Amino acid sequence: MSRVVEASGARAITARAPRPFGLSRLRELVERESVYSWLMLTPPVLFLVAFLGYPFFYGVYLSFFRREVAGPATFVGLTNFVILGNDPIFWQSVGNTVKFTAAATILKATGGLAMALVMNQNFKMKSLTRALLLLPFIVPTVLSTVAWQWIYDPGLGLFNRLLVVSGLAATGVSWLGTPTMAMISVIIVNTWRGLPFFGISILAGLQTIPAELHESATIDGAGTWGRFRYVTLPALLPVIFIVTTFSIILTFFDFQLVYVLTGGGPANGTHLMATYAYSLSMGAGQMGLGSAVALSMVPVLGLLLVLLTIYVRKD
Amino acid sequence: MAQPAESKASRRDFLKLAAGATGVVGAPWIARNAQAKPTTITFARESSYVKNFDEHFQKVLAPAYQKATGIKIEYQIQAAGGGAVPQLVSMVENKSGADLAWVQQEWLYRDALVDVSDIAEAVGKEQGGWYEEIKNLSVDNGKWKSVPNGNIGQLMVYRKDWFEEAGIKRFPETWDEFLEAGIKLKAKGHPFGMSMGHGFADNYSWLYPLLWSYGVTVMDKTGKKVALDASETAKAVDFVRKLYKEACIDDCVGWLDPHNNKAFLTSQISCTNNAYSIMVSAKRDLPDMGKVIDHALNPKGPTGQRYHSLVPVTHGVFAYGPDPQAAKDFLRWMMDPKQYRPWIASGDMYFAPYLHAFDKVPEWDIEPRVKPFQKVLETGKLTSWPAPANRAHGAVINRWVVIDMFSKACTGASTKSVIAEAVSQLKQIYGIA
Repeated sequence: MSRVVEASGARAITARAPRPFGLSRLRELVERESVYSWLMLTPPVLFLVAFLGYPFFYGVYLSFFRREVAGPATFVGLTNFVILGNDPIFWQSVGNTVKFTAAATILKATGGLAMALVMNQNFKMKSLTRALLLLPFIVPTVLSTVAWQWIYDPGLGLFNRLLVVSGLAATGVSWLGTPTMAMISVIIVNTWRGLPFFGISILAGLQTIPAELHESATIDGAGTWGRFRYVTLPALLPVIFIVTTFSIILTFFDFQLVYVLTGGGPANGTHLMATYAYSLSMGAGQMGLGSAVALSMVPVLGLLLVLLTIYVRKD
Repeated sequence: MAQPAESKASRRDFLKLAAGATGVVGAPWIARNAQAKPTTITFARESSYVKNFDEHFQKVLAPAYQKATGIKIEYQIQAAGGGAVPQLVSMVENKSGADLAWVQQEWLYRDALVDVSDIAEAVGKEQGGWYEEIKNLSVDNGKWKSVPNGNIGQLMVYRKDWFEEAGIKRFPETWDEFLEAGIKLKAKGHPFGMSMGHGFADNYSWLYPLLWSYGVTVMDKTGKKVALDASETAKAVDFVRKLYKEACIDDCVGWLDPHNNKAFLTSQISCTNNAYSIMVSAKRDLPDMGKVIDHALNPKGPTGQRYHSLVPVTHGVFAYGPDPQAAKDFLRWMMDPKQYRPWIASGDMYFAPYLHAFDKVPEWDIEPRVKPFQKVLETGKLTSWPAPANRAHGAVINRWVVIDMFSKACTGASTKSVIAEAVSQLKQIYGIA
């Protein structure tokens, strides 16, 4: 409906039944960009405030208190953070989180790039393969992790059966038995789960690269590596940067996978900051201390978000 | 949660209905319910590993209570295996969810539970009295905050056939003999699988008794002094490291509670510490294995003492509920021998009552291999023992302080460093300078 018709219609109504607040004025008000945008923004903002903002600020509040389940809160200032500073398990969980995030992200980024390059080729049943490759990302983490528990089983697990049956090893590997192997194992599962996210996002980026660029590079004498190095990779960098940043955030916060697979063990070898925060708050009932661990993750993630924002703005 | 009644039955109508119900006539809770308002009571309980036990509640007890009182019991089954505690914590924090529950790790939220001393004392009186140790959990500042329901016994579960093949005719009496047997069995391809990961039962159930049998406890009786910092602890840690290296399957250092069941049932291990659920599964799904599984008491330590760890099931009523008294009435009804004894029997004594009246009941004879689980109560201690089972103790359990002391030693750390780390954590948790 054009503005003119709208306005005349509104006038006609006003003429028939004069109202104290004209409908046309209301419509005009709503159509103002500043008002309209806020009207549209309000529901999601309220949603975010209720389900993210409130828990976050409540967590910040709790981290300054000694507060146990169903107990009163006592203000302790920065004591919780001081306790954490002297807590070797906290520092172990920080180290584990950094190792876990770095290794899984590097594997996912390189693997995802390779996956996208393959998926960008023409071959039979390409669409079906693409759909199947998304599966790890779609299946609920808890379910797939239970399946991984079986895969890692020392005696009957898929990996060890393959190793023994193929004669590659006399006895299987203790996948979740030692801190180092358990960490490698959880990194493998995280990579498996996160790979399609990288693969599909990078594939989308690949498909936006005009074929002419490749053609002219070929004419200029660039080989396969040359085209990848000087055409494909520079064009993909923005996508890779954004996907990697998102992935770092998601991996840094990962909880379900480790909780189900190892519970943070053995000997705290796979305790991440998220699982440690959970076991302190929900298991040990030390709400304040647990919140302090969770809050300790915020600066790293905040820094990443700032980097991401700067990058997006620059573009 | 308890819901207000939609229609108000008169006291006379209600008493008529109650009089018609068999088995509960004249009980004091009936009279109370004549004035009660709720139409439903929500009872949260972790899913038991014994199907019949849950079914008996749902098919017999809940309908019987509804028939007798008009109150519907909503049986909210929580996931087993450590998941129930966070759910309970959330309920307590949000003051919603259930009227009464199997209050696992109740030390975390005792303040949110009502005093049930009247019920516990009456039940104790009518059923031979309570085992002393359970009072250290359920009684807080002289008041019962929960009514004990039963103990999930944890014992050594082993393959009798493999032990005999290795020339071991009877289950080892001491931890040293246990190690010796383990070395022999591992050499024959049947290692032990002693859980040491971040679980909540199968790790505590042998590591704590082992520590105690070396003459050490985690805290002293007052709970104000760390007792772990002792030379016997080092001996216990060295022993566990040796046992792990020479007699166990590598993976067990990271095992959660379901892992040893799985490893045992798939013939990967010859011995572990568990409830009798392994035998139940084997008898059902692997009859041949079912015949050769047996249970044994934990071995004795250098002190000559034998210990077991209690895994208590207790029921508590939340104070914030709309009608805690209605939930208490239901709890009292449930613990009446008329209801309680058939319920416990339906679970084949998987939940062993902490009441002396059950010490010699014929229900224990259903299966000779179940009988040793009754003995657990005689030497069983809470993991807090001898200190009070309080919040700080909860933190020690949920941060796996003692478990990790052992598992770190098994994965390469020195005895001195693991003990020092555990002691420092204990001091931080208990607020000891």
